[in-house]
Amino acid sequence: MLRRTRTTKKLARRIDLQYFSRPHPFRRWRFWLSVVVPVLALGWLLIQRAHGGQKIYSSGRLSRSHAVFTQQCGLCHVTRAGVFFKEVRDQACLTCHDGPVHHSSQTFSPSCWSCHLEHKGVQRLFATSDASCTQCHSHLRTRDGQPHGARSIDGFDRGHPEFSPLGKGKIDPGQIKLNHYLHLQPDLIGPANQGVQMTCEDCHRAAGDTRDWPYGTLSPRASVEQASMRLPGLGAYMAPIQFAKHCAACHTLQFDRRFGNEQVPHDQPNVIHTFLARRFAEYVAAHPAAVHEVEPRNRQLPERDRIPRVAHDRAEWVQFRVEDAEWVLWAKTCKQCHALNFATGALPEVAKSNITPRWLLHAEFDHHAHRMMSCAACHARTPESHDTADILLPGIAVCQQCHQEEGSSQEVAEGRCFECHKYHDWSRAKRTNGRFSIPELRGTAQLILPQGQPPISH
Amino acid sequence: MRIDHTHRKWFIGSMAGLAVASALYIPYSVQSPQGPRGGSALGLAYGSAGFAFMLFAGLLGLRKKFPVWRVGRAQNWMRGHLWLGLVSFPIILLHGGFHFGGLLTRVLMWLFIFVFASGLLGTALQHFMPRLQTAQLPLETIYEQIDRVRGQLAEEAQKLVEEACAALEGEVSRASERQRATAAAAGANWDVTVAAGLDADEQASSELRRFLSAEVQPYLARTGPRGTRMGDAALSEAMFRQLRVLFPPNLHSCIDDLENISEEKRQLDNQNRLHKILHGWLLVHIPLSYALLILGAWHAVAAVRF
Repeated sequence: MLRRTRTTKKLARRIDLQYFSRPHPFRRWRFWLSVVVPVLALGWLLIQRAHGGQKIYSSGRLSRSHAVFTQQCGLCHVTRAGVFFKEVRDQACLTCHDGPVHHSSQTFSPSCWSCHLEHKGVQRLFATSDASCTQCHSHLRTRDGQPHGARSIDGFDRGHPEFSPLGKGKIDPGQIKLNHYLHLQPDLIGPANQGVQMTCEDCHRAAGDTRDWPYGTLSPRASVEQASMRLPGLGAYMAPIQFAKHCAACHTLQFDRRFGNEQVPHDQPNVIHTFLARRFAEYVAAHPAAVHEVEPRNRQLPERDRIPRVAHDRAEWVQFRVEDAEWVLWAKTCKQCHALNFATGALPEVAKSNITPRWLLHAEFDHHAHRMMSCAACHARTPESHDTADILLPGIAVCQQCHQEEGSSQEVAEGRCFECHKYHDWSRAKRTNGRFSIPELRGTAQLILPQGQPPISH
Repeated sequence: MRIDHTHRKWFIGSMAGLAVASALYIPYSVQSPQGPRGGSALGLAYGSAGFAFMLFAGLLGLRKKFPVWRVGRAQNWMRGHLWLGLVSFPIILLHGGFHFGGLLTRVLMWLFIFVFASGLLGTALQHFMPRLQTAQLPLETIYEQIDRVRGQLAEEAQKLVEEACAALEGEVSRASERQRATAAAAGANWDVTVAAGLDADEQASSELRRFLSAEVQPYLARTGPRGTRMGDAALSEAMFRQLRVLFPPNLHSCIDDLENISEEKRQLDNQNRLHKILHGWLLVHIPLSYALLILGAWHAVAAVRF
């Protein structure tokens, strides 16, 4: 039988009434941890400060291009004299970079940092958000009140208009008669009367390609030099079409049977006229008997109402031969590709080729970046095009198959504005003069600004 | 503190605040060109609100230190601590745009995660465990007095056995009043035959002493049940059952008392364990909270400056 009893009185006697005045180990632990942990945290801050490290205040890693300046916050975060706060001002950016204005009629110029976000990790600063652009372009207003482009664009697949060259009624302004369909047919007669199958890259290659041109006569080295002089960004754009590089091997310019395969220069009519006169004069000087030879009928020109003419002297013979040769050239050889205007004088005027070197003037494109694709994947209409006036630029829908705003995070190609468009008009860029030493940039030396800049102090 | 209907106002208020903050965040994150940033106007507003909530939650400790202050009931402070502390975490996430940022802010966020998680754990424990303790620990005492009570239990067990053994060994002077009454009722002569009247058995006496020193005292001397057979309730019960078979019936009451003492000790151990669970999280929550407030204040100044 249990004899122990637990009355309240007995239980109360067990308790030391002063127990709360003596700290229990659990309370002691709680107290000391509450002292030590905050002190450690504060100590860490003070140690960081003592070592001059401002890095802990950084709100994130700097971009690739600025990572080297991580220890020197004062390069960008500058204070006005006597002011506690350190602001990031455009002036700090413009110390190293120029930032040309976007458009002379823009109503609002955002600050550098609002588009080029820093402290967002290792990224490219030019990879700006679409919102940076659409803050104006979603409801575009200009100083003159007349936007030249679309008024409301919210993204590449939200309100972006079709590429302007593909607008309704627009045609290729080029004056060279080129039939893409014909050139891509099998068994074309090529150089030395060989059957050939042409491909796109026989004529269209990015600037800087050093391979031989199959249907040209210009050396690859010369073509590289010419291309790089004309277009910046080797590999991005197709080199312009040139007769010597792309056409000369098939489209030969012979002018008279007496000279075999000799060709007239691919130049203006007056140059050709001078060339012909010189070459026939040289010929008759070397062959005086040719003056009295009766010229056979030229079957290449059946439409010409031609009465055989007999020259009385060398000069007249040269005149007749030049006229015949020019007739062949103007009526057949040159006319095959060029538009000739005979109304202006004795010699025809050749219309300028007017080949469009770059279709998208307000956007960047890089053929090299798309080298894994076949040409027809984008330029799908080209093999069926019969007319020079056809604009064979792919439409925006073709681009949108791969490029979408979500970018690589959604397993599609980058589709944000910066991928194709540049904000700054770099044609107006001004040179900036560096002023910092390496220790200043790396944060191992105090920043010293040159005199004459009292408003800003680092 | 239990989460019951008395929290309704705090719950509705804090959730409404969080809903408004979240609703504002959506257009803000979509429309701002540079995305959500702590340094933007709304970002700073989130940061200020979040830090204010954290500060209020931190002031609970101060409120407890000074219970006589007329600054509202401690229970209301506790409810505010719970709900504003709960809301402060998502608000701070909105402040940072769900990014942890640089070194200082990363440290801050991890501190906050530990504080928040330990707080949630503590809230859950404080909600469920008191009931468990009430059910499992009828012999509960003041936690800080467990060691003292344990010592008293050891003394009580010693005394019980001494008294029983004295009677068994014929030491009338050490026999209890009750034992004497039992002997007298049996017709024994006083001071001489009391031991015989009690069926004195020296062997039983030594066995009982041995049991006390080998099993009971080591168990009562230790803080926990570890390393002792009596720490195991089933094993302990079996041992006492066996003792009742081996020892004469007049010792059974002593054995019952010893078993009762062991049970009380077992409950004290259990109380000790549950108390550590119920309050152990505070060893993480409180120190890290103070560190969080200090670093948070530093961050606020540094962030505004830069």
